[in-house]
Parts: sequence; structure tokens; C-alpha cells
Amino acid sequence: MSHLDEGTLHALLDGELELAEVREIQTHLGTCSACDSRLQDVKQFLAEADRLVGALEAPAGSSRARPEPAPLPSQPLTPREPPSWESAPELLLPDPPDTAGQRHWTRGVRWAAMILVVFGAGRLIQAALRPDKPRLELTSRDLTRPSNPPAAVSQEDTGKPGSPVARASRPAPVSGAPLGKAAAPARKTVVTQPPPAVVDELDSVEAAAGDLGDSAQDSQTLAVGRSDAAAGQSTGDQDLATREAAAAALEELDRERLRSRANAATASLPPPRADVQPAAEPAPAPRTLEQRAQVYLRIGLDEAVTQLGRPVHVIEAMTPEFIGLTPGRLVPGADPNRPVVRVVYLDRGRMVLLDQQRLRTGQAPGAAAGNLRWTQGDVMLYLHGDPGSDVLRNLQRRVR
Amino acid sequence: MLLQRDMTADLTQLFELYYESLVRMLYRRTGDRDRAEDLAQETFARAVAAPPNNPRPWLFAVALNLVREDGRRALRQGRRLELLRSDDRPAEGPEEDLERNERSASVRAALATLGERDREALLLKAEGFNYEEIAATLGLSKGAVGTTLARARRRLVEAYRSEARGKHVAS
Repeated sequence: MSHLDEGTLHALLDGELELAEVREIQTHLGTCSACDSRLQDVKQFLAEADRLVGALEAPAGSSRARPEPAPLPSQPLTPREPPSWESAPELLLPDPPDTAGQRHWTRGVRWAAMILVVFGAGRLIQAALRPDKPRLELTSRDLTRPSNPPAAVSQEDTGKPGSPVARASRPAPVSGAPLGKAAAPARKTVVTQPPPAVVDELDSVEAAAGDLGDSAQDSQTLAVGRSDAAAGQSTGDQDLATREAAAAALEELDRERLRSRANAATASLPPPRADVQPAAEPAPAPRTLEQRAQVYLRIGLDEAVTQLGRPVHVIEAMTPEFIGLTPGRLVPGADPNRPVVRVVYLDRGRMVLLDQQRLRTGQAPGAAAGNLRWTQGDVMLYLHGDPGSDVLRNLQRRVR
Repeated sequence: MLLQRDMTADLTQLFELYYESLVRMLYRRTGDRDRAEDLAQETFARAVAAPPNNPRPWLFAVALNLVREDGRRALRQGRRLELLRSDDRPAEGPEEDLERNERSASVRAALATLGERDREALLLKAEGFNYEEIAATLGLSKGAVGTTLARARRRLVEAYRSEARGKHVAS
């Protein structure tokens, strides 16, 4: 074997080599003083380098608290403070490359604010355009009330606390002029619709509606109710239908927006786990004999002898399928530095395992020893497997 | 856009498993705890956008790429020195703190003399990566990892010793 290179020695010390390679290197090191000396050198460098890298720890108290992934709402965000360094930061989607250098928390706040503005504006528009149910109920009540003829309501009466109009659900008194202006577009629409015969009555109703002033819709409905119910109702219905259509369109837009957002979010999700759809999962492959025997490394007979430090015991007149190593100890007195050598047999399809492990010098096998656990010299043996104990006892007599 | 709730569980698990290790590696690499945490955040955000199959090497590879990009940008912007500041400044406090800070500065200076790949291999090994994971993260063959680490360790120790000697002579 040629001299060992430094990389191999580092791999050896890092525990990255296979058992066979380790044995080969150990053999070489026993005979090559140059490589052995080099190994000592490498050990020093390795230890020193690890110590130096380990010294690069952040000083206590200099860092922010360990962040946790904040629970992420699926609903539109509520306003929040910018994340402080002490609080758990939230995870944000990656930014475009041209802004990657900016602070992430400020970008997060900008995103959140933008989403908020969009959602808020959408909600406001939707609320403004959607017909208000309580208002409609109030209007219909007013329409069916027989004792309040709007034609008899003068502008002065509306100022009195006891007047019918003043009682009509107005929360605070408001002067007539500005409200009249506010109601002007609706009034104009109504005036153009009715026939001339009802113009006088309509004027007085308009005055009352202007004082009522809650909205153009109320005044319009009142006027129509008392003058020309058919024409006014038709206009109101058209308005209502338009608004309902607009609201429905907005809702559909909202739903579409939510769908696209959900699609975008779920597109980056990992594929569904296998345990979610057990039916689609293919049947597991049958376990190999090696897996059943729980052998972590298959070895040859020579290696088994080396590992055991003694000749390997076998069952007479049976051919092993293979020999391997398995972790653990057969009995408490077994040598922990030596693995369990497992000889694996197949007896008419049934697996038979003959485990063997060296005992520590002068160590009794311990209380775990039983019928199928016994010692031969300083080797502990254990025969077990698929067959019943009678079969195993017969096999035990043939162990050499 | 924020994540859906069902992704949070996976994300939380990734955080629990790798966040501290990632920040520690990034801190060792950059010398700036805040930057390390920012970069770790960015790394996890990218993991969310494109969930990796093998998260550990993926996360560390992305983090190291971010460090490189950030370092190049910093170099362009002429704030290279700022990258090396952090706690290298002499602290007001007990002598042990001062000594530790000086030692950290020396180690970091020694680390800076290493090649990019050597340095990264060393830092990944310090985070408990095995050779296979280091190879996967850095795009090396597994057989080359031992040689890379050997070179990195030797150079680090030699550079550190040289640095220490220089300081001793200067003082």
C-alpha cells in the first residue's frame, strides 16, 4: 500500500471511511511510521481547526431572540406594527432581485400595507354599492304608514321635534339647505318622471324629503310613494337592480381574486404526502433476508473471524446464507467494543440466526444466559430465529 | 403574499431543525449576527417558494449563495470593511471579553484567507455535515471532500498562527 494522502487521513478521523478501508489503513499505519507520524500531525490540525471555528460564536446578548415562524393568517391582514427585532419575525416571500439588498422587515410591511389597502378599498366600494337592508325596511315602513301624508308636511314642520318627518329615524337635526343640495340629483330624476298633475304634491314631498335628508334614496322613495308609485318604483327598481348587479360583479371579482391567490399559494406547496393517499401507494417490496436478519454490514468469513477475535462457530451440515454484523450486546458481560457476528441460515425457508460475541476477559455470561444462549470458551452464542425452540435445540447440538 | 397555514407546519419543522445551525454557520461566515439572521430568513423564504426535497443541503447551499451575492454587492458598494466589523471592535468590559473578541477577529481573519470552497466546507463540517452532505451542498464529489477539508484545516491553522505571531510582534 502506498503512503496515505492527507485527505484520506482526514476522512479516517472524520469517520467517513468504510470498515474495510479502515482496517486496511490501520494495517498500513502499523507498518509505516511516516504515515503514522502524519496522522498525528493531521489530528492536531483537525483538533485545532475545529477549536478555531468553534470560537466563532456570537457573544451573549448581542443577537436578536431566536425567531420562530409566525402563524400566518389566511385572511386579509389586520394592521400591525413593523416587526421589532425582539419579536418573532414573519416569513416573507422572496423579493425581486433588484431589491434583495433592502431590509426584509420593511419590505414585509410594504407588502402587508398594499394588501390591506387593496382589500380595504374593495370592501368599501362593495359596501357603498350594495343596497342597505335596514334602510329599505325603514322606507317600506314609511310607505305603509297611513297617518303621515307628506303633502301636509311643510318645511317648518320638519324643524319641530314632534313632526312626523322629524320622528323618522333621524339621529341628529341637520339644516335643510345642504341636505337639499345633497338630495338634488335624486329629486331631479323624480321630477322628470311624474305627470304634471302631481307636480305640486311632488314639490311638497320633495321638501319633506330634503329635510329628511338621510339619503337620496329615502327621499326618492317617499316622493314616489306619495305621488306616482309606479314610475318611481320602476326607477328605484332599476337602480336597485344595477347596484345589485354591480355588487354581484364585485363579489365575483373578489372570489376570483381569492381563488387566484389560493392557487398561487398552493402552487408552491410540496406534493401531497404519501400517507394522505394510502390507496395509491404501491405495495411495499418484500423484505430481503438481509433486512429480516437486521444486519447492518455483510462481511466475509475472514472479517468475521477478525471481528470476533476467535474462530466463527457454525451449524454443522448447514450452509450459511451470509455472515454479517449487528449492533448491540448478547449479554451484559459481552465486550462492547466488538460487534455481534451473526451467521444467517435458511432452514426450509425459515430464518435461523446464530449470533456470537466475545465476552470480556474473565466475565461470566450473566443472568441472560439460557438454553439457547450459551458460551463456548470466551464467546457467547445465541441461537434464535423463525423455527420453534425444539428445532433450535436440535440445531444447537450441531453448532461447532 | 404570505403563506398558507398548512405550509406553516413544514416551515416550523424546518425552522426547528435548521434555523440555529444555519444562523451559526452564516454568522461564522459573515461575522455579523444581524446579517446572518437576515440571510437565514431569506433562505427560508426561498425554501417556501420552492420547497426542497433534501432540505438541509439545499438550505445551506442557498444560504451560502446568498452570502456570496451579498458579499459581491458589498464589495461593489465599498462597504467591505463593515462586513468584518461586528463584535471585532474592542469591547468595554472584562479582559476575557476583550481577549475573546481579539481571538474571534484573528480566527475570522484567518478564515478570510481561505478559498471560498475550502471555507464553506469547513463551516459545513462544523455544523455536523457528513462528507456526502458537504458534497451535495457544494457540488463536489464525495471523494474530494476529504482533500478539501484537509487543505482548509491546514490553511486555517497556519493562517491563524501567522496572524497571532503578527499581533504578538506588533504589540
